[in-house]
Amino acid sequence: MSAALRRYGGGLPARIALGLLVPLALILLWDHQARHGGEHAFAFVSAAQVAGALRELWQSGDLLTAYGNSLRNAFGGLFWGSVTGLAVGSAMALLRPVDWVLTPLYHGLRQVPLLGWLPLIGLWFGSGDLSKVIVVSLSAFYPAVLYTYEGLKGVEARMLEVGRLYRLTPWQTFWRIRWPSALPSIFTGLLQSVAFAWIATIGVELLFPTGFGLGTVMQHGQLQARLDIVVVCIAVVGLTGFAINLLVARLSRHALRWRPVRT
Amino acid sequence: MNIDSRAAVRTPEQPALRSGALQLKEVRKRFLFDQRELTVLTGLNLDVRPGEFLSIVGPSGCGKSTLLRLIASLDDDYEGHIALDGRRVAGTSLERGLVFQDHRLFPWMTLEQNVAFALIRRDMSAAARDRLVREHIALVGLSGFEQAYPHQLSGGMSQRAAIARALVNEPKVLLLDEPFGALDALTRVHLQTELQRIWMSQGSTMIMITHDVDEALYLGDRVAVMQAHPGRIAHIVDVDLPHPRDRAAPLLHRLKDDILAELTATDAPRGEAVVPLTRRRPG
Repeated sequence: MSAALRRYGGGLPARIALGLLVPLALILLWDHQARHGGEHAFAFVSAAQVAGALRELWQSGDLLTAYGNSLRNAFGGLFWGSVTGLAVGSAMALLRPVDWVLTPLYHGLRQVPLLGWLPLIGLWFGSGDLSKVIVVSLSAFYPAVLYTYEGLKGVEARMLEVGRLYRLTPWQTFWRIRWPSALPSIFTGLLQSVAFAWIATIGVELLFPTGFGLGTVMQHGQLQARLDIVVVCIAVVGLTGFAINLLVARLSRHALRWRPVRT
Repeated sequence: MNIDSRAAVRTPEQPALRSGALQLKEVRKRFLFDQRELTVLTGLNLDVRPGEFLSIVGPSGCGKSTLLRLIASLDDDYEGHIALDGRRVAGTSLERGLVFQDHRLFPWMTLEQNVAFALIRRDMSAAARDRLVREHIALVGLSGFEQAYPHQLSGGMSQRAAIARALVNEPKVLLLDEPFGALDALTRVHLQTELQRIWMSQGSTMIMITHDVDEALYLGDRVAVMQAHPGRIAHIVDVDLPHPRDRAAPLLHRLKDDILAELTATDAPRGEAVVPLTRRRPG
């Protein structure tokens, strides 16, 4: 697949162009529907209207404020969720009693959809930013635990043997062998945490009415039947998620640069 | 060059000729396998002389690798006695180095970091550490590749790096578990010559396991021939040729025929034709 792309598609600019092909086609189709769609036209807004809404939201400062609030919640939740996830996953992987006690609980709790926790979290922590950060943390926490656990458990015995041969202390064994060996898996988890955290951020803003984030703006748009505002928010959310994902993927590739390049 | 003239190559402060004597007495190893007891090694006696190169050949499943793991103390569960310079071995030690068949370099470390890994528990200045690492990378002919990651190295280069890592501690005994078994024939021949050069310039006693009788004879001062079921040393062959050796030496070919005949014999009688281990070779 990627080999074929390289052969026919040339370098990076060509790949970016290919990646934009379908989105552009969809936008054109959308715009066409908005202007010539007849009875369905009310469900679409023209590109010009969307551009107008973007200008409006930008000039009022609402977009930037909401964007800042959403990003703050997202990164706060991502940070706490990942850090606690790393700690819990490591403890489960390295300490057998913790594994026995926590792993079944973890797999049980993981089955409950994030939405299922919202009433409880709302009841305990209110519907302010604290609750939002907790929900986002939770969404980042699950993949972090799972991939940290799998990564640390999957260390090859033959590698640990080299550590024994050179008489490493348990801490050195962890830091020099187990941890780097688990890093590829941990980064896979981080990529998932990032994606889930961003989705959860917008989701919880739609469901908890307090505060002012992108989800809130989106909901106001819906209530006022301002489809153009909703579309602006969707675009900003999508592009932001895409950008964060790209950033973390880059980070991961840099941290794992010792791995052979795969095609 | 024989063992004595090798001494001239070594630096005077290396007491290598006085140490690196490995003694195995009545070593026996049993595994519990499928509820049944399986004797892997039995009645194993071996005296490895300081600075000697000992090759061990034998059929698959004769316990060769198990033997090395016992000497390295990666496995502590055995009966009998294994001692290095008179002291019973207990736990892994930097005095006993081991090179595995798979190089076992850490993929996330550069060559330099992989070699330095062996020195983690050594108390020394960073400068001394760097110097040792540099010297040993040069010893195996990998200077210039210090910053390369293992996936950027060929199989032969990786195995050289593994040898550098095992030697950087200047172990009294270096154990080599089929170190060239996974390499192509040409690389193997090349690395055998290299290993001979390294052994001659360096004080360690070396014990190498191999499937390759040519390799065993080319490198070994002595070759121990093992038999399987249960694993034991059937025979020890003295290879009375100075190092560095010529692969075409007629003696090597004659000994090879003898050893191959013994290894391929269907019913090798146990305990016969054992050359007394204490016999010193002339020269």
